[in-house]
Amino acid sequence: MKTNCETVKNSLGAWLDGELGHADAEEIRRHVEGCPACSGERRRLERVQVALRGVLETESSRVAFEPFWDGVRRRISEERPRQARLWEWARPAFYPQRLAWAVPVAIVFLLAIFSLVQYAPGWRWGVNRGNVAAVDSIDGHGFNVAVLRESKTKTTVIWLFESQEEDDEASGEPTAKEPSF
Amino acid sequence: MDLSDWELVQRCQNGDVAAFQELVARYYRKVYMVVLGILNHRDDAMEVAQEAFFRAYRSIQGFKGGSAFYTWLYRIAVNLSIDFQRRQKRGPTELRETMDEAVDNTEGASSANDPFLDLQSKELGQRLVAAINELTPDHRAVIVMRAVEGLSYKDIGRMLGCSEGTVMSRLHYARKKLQEKLGPYL
Repeated sequence: MKTNCETVKNSLGAWLDGELGHADAEEIRRHVEGCPACSGERRRLERVQVALRGVLETESSRVAFEPFWDGVRRRISEERPRQARLWEWARPAFYPQRLAWAVPVAIVFLLAIFSLVQYAPGWRWGVNRGNVAAVDSIDGHGFNVAVLRESKTKTTVIWLFESQEEDDEASGEPTAKEPSF
Repeated sequence: MDLSDWELVQRCQNGDVAAFQELVARYYRKVYMVVLGILNHRDDAMEVAQEAFFRAYRSIQGFKGGSAFYTWLYRIAVNLSIDFQRRQKRGPTELRETMDEAVDNTEGASSANDPFLDLQSKELGQRLVAAINELTPDHRAVIVMRAVEGLSYKDIGRMLGCSEGTVMSRLHYARKKLQEKLGPYL
């Protein structure tokens, strides 16, 4: 009988919770009805459960809705700036009306970039940007000389010759026959 | 016209905060009750219950209605409570005076006429709160979920991520411990 009571006590909670199969539940029910010790155990278990529920129900009934909701709302409003604000800022751009404007604007922008690449010398998205041809100086001991820098490694010197007779006639001054460096 | 939970959820998913407020109004007491049962501390329970609703609001876009809204919310609240309880090592409970009142309410007329029973019930309440405090969060969670919500072992196991056998074992252990602590008062 004692062993039987021990077995029943181990399953009493599950039986009260309705978690046992029909056959087991029936066996325990019959035992509990005829056993004062197990019947008392059952009452104690139920009393614990009722008391616990009573405490929690009483306590929760004291909580008013407004202060509770205020706490939830505060959290929501603090959270919104982080996630919703970014989306709220970006969302209008995706409205159909805005998209209708955005498409031609994007086409014009792309055409402008394409034209810049085609017609602006040296403007190639940063590629070879250091190789812009430029006239550095004009100096050649009295002669006109153009120093054309095409890249960091390539420099072309262009001599700008003038007609010697025309110079002599115009100035009447002796001039060097050849440039000397 | 009363909207169903799912209709309110759908409104929330479209950014209607008022619909979420209605959901909070429906369930805040139940959520608070279970959180309080696990934490056994009013202020902490208030914080965690509010946080549970906030997390639900934040994740509501991902809620597809596979389970009832309350089941989903309840799972968030229970998991938050257990995590919170594990992080915090609280001292003595502050709910003893509540227990006196609760036992008054639940025992009702039968104890009102019997001062000895009344005194015994109040004593039981105080002891019960102290005894619950000595359980681990996992044990406390199963007994509260069962006592307060009357959830099946299967549902409790699903919420806590453990088997029905584990739920049964934890419940048995928790009840045994409570009975040991409350022995003479039961």
